[in-house]
Amino acid sequence: MQHALDTFISNQFHVDAATWAWTQVIYAIAIGLAAFALVNFGAILAGIFSWAERRIAARMQSRIGPNRVGPGGFLQWFADAVKLMLKEDLIPTQSDSILYRMAPYFVMVGFSCTFVVLPFSHAIAATTMDLGLFYIIAITALIVVGVLLSGWASNSKWSLFGAMRAAAQIVSYEIPGGMALMVPLLISGTLSMQEMIRMQGGIQPEAGGNFLTAGGWPWNWNIFHDPAAFVCFFIYFTAALAEGNRAPFDLAEAESEIVAGYNTEYSGFRFSVFFLVEWGNVWVMSAIACTAFLGGWQVPGISLAALDNATGLSSIGLELLSLSFFVVKTLSLCFVVIWLRWTLPRIRVDSMMSLCWKYLVPAAFASIIFETVWVLAFARSPSFQLFFGVIMSIAAGAVPLWLFAKRTFDNIRDTGDRVDLTNW
Amino acid sequence: MQTATAHAPAHELTAPEPHTPQKNGLRDYVDNIRGTTKSFWHGMSVTLSYMFRKPITAQYPDRMPVGRLADTLPARYRGFLEVDRDICTVCKACERACPIDCISIGEIKDPKTRKLVGMDRFDIDIGKCMFCGLCVEPCPTGAIQHTREFESASASFTNLTFRFVPEGTVSPVYKVPKGSTAFMRAELGSITRAIVKNWDAPPPPFPAKDTKKPTHAATTKPSGAAGALGRELAVRALEAKAKSDIPKLQKTFEDAMAGTDCGDCGYADCFGYSDALAKGLDFDPGKCAPGGAESKGNLEVMLVALKTGKAPEAPVEAVEAAPTPVEAAPTADGADALQKELVAKTVAAKDNPDALKAVFEEAMAGTDCGDCGYADCDGYSTGIAKSGDNDPSKCAPGGSETTANLRAMLVSLGRKPTT
Ligand code: SF4
Ligand code: SF4
Ligand code: SF4
Repeated sequence: MQHALDTFISNQFHVDAATWAWTQVIYAIAIGLAAFALVNFGAILAGIFSWAERRIAARMQSRIGPNRVGPGGFLQWFADAVKLMLKEDLIPTQSDSILYRMAPYFVMVGFSCTFVVLPFSHAIAATTMDLGLFYIIAITALIVVGVLLSGWASNSKWSLFGAMRAAAQIVSYEIPGGMALMVPLLISGTLSMQEMIRMQGGIQPEAGGNFLTAGGWPWNWNIFHDPAAFVCFFIYFTAALAEGNRAPFDLAEAESEIVAGYNTEYSGFRFSVFFLVEWGNVWVMSAIACTAFLGGWQVPGISLAALDNATGLSSIGLELLSLSFFVVKTLSLCFVVIWLRWTLPRIRVDSMMSLCWKYLVPAAFASIIFETVWVLAFARSPSFQLFFGVIMSIAAGAVPLWLFAKRTFDNIRDTGDRVDLTNW
Repeated sequence: MQTATAHAPAHELTAPEPHTPQKNGLRDYVDNIRGTTKSFWHGMSVTLSYMFRKPITAQYPDRMPVGRLADTLPARYRGFLEVDRDICTVCKACERACPIDCISIGEIKDPKTRKLVGMDRFDIDIGKCMFCGLCVEPCPTGAIQHTREFESASASFTNLTFRFVPEGTVSPVYKVPKGSTAFMRAELGSITRAIVKNWDAPPPPFPAKDTKKPTHAATTKPSGAAGALGRELAVRALEAKAKSDIPKLQKTFEDAMAGTDCGDCGYADCFGYSDALAKGLDFDPGKCAPGGAESKGNLEVMLVALKTGKAPEAPVEAVEAAPTPVEAAPTADGADALQKELVAKTVAAKDNPDALKAVFEEAMAGTDCGDCGYADCDGYSTGIAKSGDNDPSKCAPGGSETTANLRAMLVSLGRKPTT
């Protein structure tokens, strides 16, 4: 982005960006605009998710969901946002009011800072930070601080229970989550999000590849790289669910046990911040999973060189193509997150802990060792890797998906029902 | 778990706990993973399959695939009540059965024979009704029934009272033909639907107190017999007028109103109405429904005083105290006369059981409702005349009057009434 700004300055003001006095001001304005756009992207996205989740949840429960505000009820989230902001902002008299007011901002900052490194397409990303993955894991820890603060400052036992549960859960699941991300890191050898996606491009034409080997084909994705990566995808996904307090790990907000957990006492805008973050987190975790395991914005059959060197109209076209590939993959993962919530009951605290420490952590460590050996053994043989990737994507991707779809439609048929997408 | 084990008999203490996770070590560990994967596989496919099915939600009220929802409800749905007064015997069994008194029936009796001749009121406060159906069960003819109507949002509170006998009319008593078991009824729902149709019409005024027996002094003789309050208000009104103090005049008028700001008068609130009266824009004293006859009387007194310029005379005490039941005296006399007549007839028919039975039946309400425990009035009177039933209190529709008559008749026969 700095390069683009420098070019902009020299073209518009005919000065040398490196020495011009106003360069920093232009930078600041650009940064402000980008930050504004990203924060709003997060907020609007979370709003839209709240609508999508309600519609999807409704269908899964044979209901319809909100369908009155705007076409298909799409503007429901907007109406809700207006309602939430107009509500009275209550601060309990017995609370620690400064911390109480601060907590939502910690959560909000922890969430929106992830957009600094989250990629969207081949060229659209706020930065290409070298330590991207590490940065995300670090910055999201701020959310725990916010949650703990809110629970403590509310001076309510339900809030405190919720916060404690959230802290225990998030801290525990950081371990398998972080470990699972080590595997794509070992495969691609970089912590940068953009680089990680670039490494999932398969055998490029320059290296003797062709249409079927280059670009975002499933056999180039990290998830189908080898069995350990496949397992780690699920470990990461589970851990991310738990870190985001999403069902079935929503113990911190278990309304049947502790009212609403850490945000029990919040109302109005402050409350909506917590909610916004919860839904926004779904995008963030899906985007990370998509980046690390599902080939990110790679377009099947399009080599990196083609993307890098495109100019004019074709560059815009390719950019949009890669953007849509990324968005579609991420949204599918978001759908899975929502789908999981309406499938699984909330698990017990002790089961949650035993799942983490007895199953996910050992599995994640075993995967890392397996992966290290694998990389040492096969990294020099791209053609073997390609061959194995094809086998994996058929055996672990296509076949299970097909069986699952068949099972789903059998479920419909066996109950004497039929596929019917009317009554929206 | 802890307490349970503590109190358990000794031999059970050694029993292994159910669901011990580590029983088989590695095998269980692998089993758990397999079980989790399998249940995910199954559970997720079930929820996903619902994604592709038609939601069962019926989008009431505006996107219904069928016509009216009420018509699709089960036949025995307990919706609004409906009374077909063409087959109502005015037995009031429903009124007595209602646990929350939301039915009120105004029966009319022949002043001489004290027989039921009709009803001038059959109101069900559907706003209070809890749809328990207890009123439907005792009805001898099926006149009162639940319909399937249920949409009870009404612009006016008073419209929530269903008046099955229109104001000012009298519905005759239905005489059950002997031995009949089925009764022709208007199509279920048609009567109630007609009432509900009028729900959005302007509401009827609040029922004023004592409208049935207009004995209130103020309403009958306003200027001559004003209540103390009316007189005081009139004096204040005259004073205000003398000073042309319209705001004060308005205040005085407002004092005579109920002060609920309900808007029933057609103005926005009490201020609107009183202001109009004070400025001479309105001359109708009868618009304040919540204030009832009293408010109407006082306003009338004030308006008359303003018109004539004279304060009303001191109240005539007797009139104020006169809500003595206009009907009461003749009623008592009539009742006495009736009782005497019945007793005389009883004594005359003493030796003829059939004639005696007929006399007893004459004393009963005659609704054939069966509330007495017999099939109908015929049964009860036969029981008294021929089978030695000495309980005069069984005819609920006849009330205490019938009981008294029957008791007197029994006494005249030398028998001992049980109550
Ligand atoms: S349904 Fe029940 S509550 Fe309603 S009027 Fe009948 S007896 Fe009374
Ligand atoms: S016949 Fe008796 S029970 Fe039936 S509606 Fe009339 S008064 Fe009520
Ligand atoms: S005598 Fe019996 S059947 Fe006749 S009105 Fe009285 S209670 Fe009903």
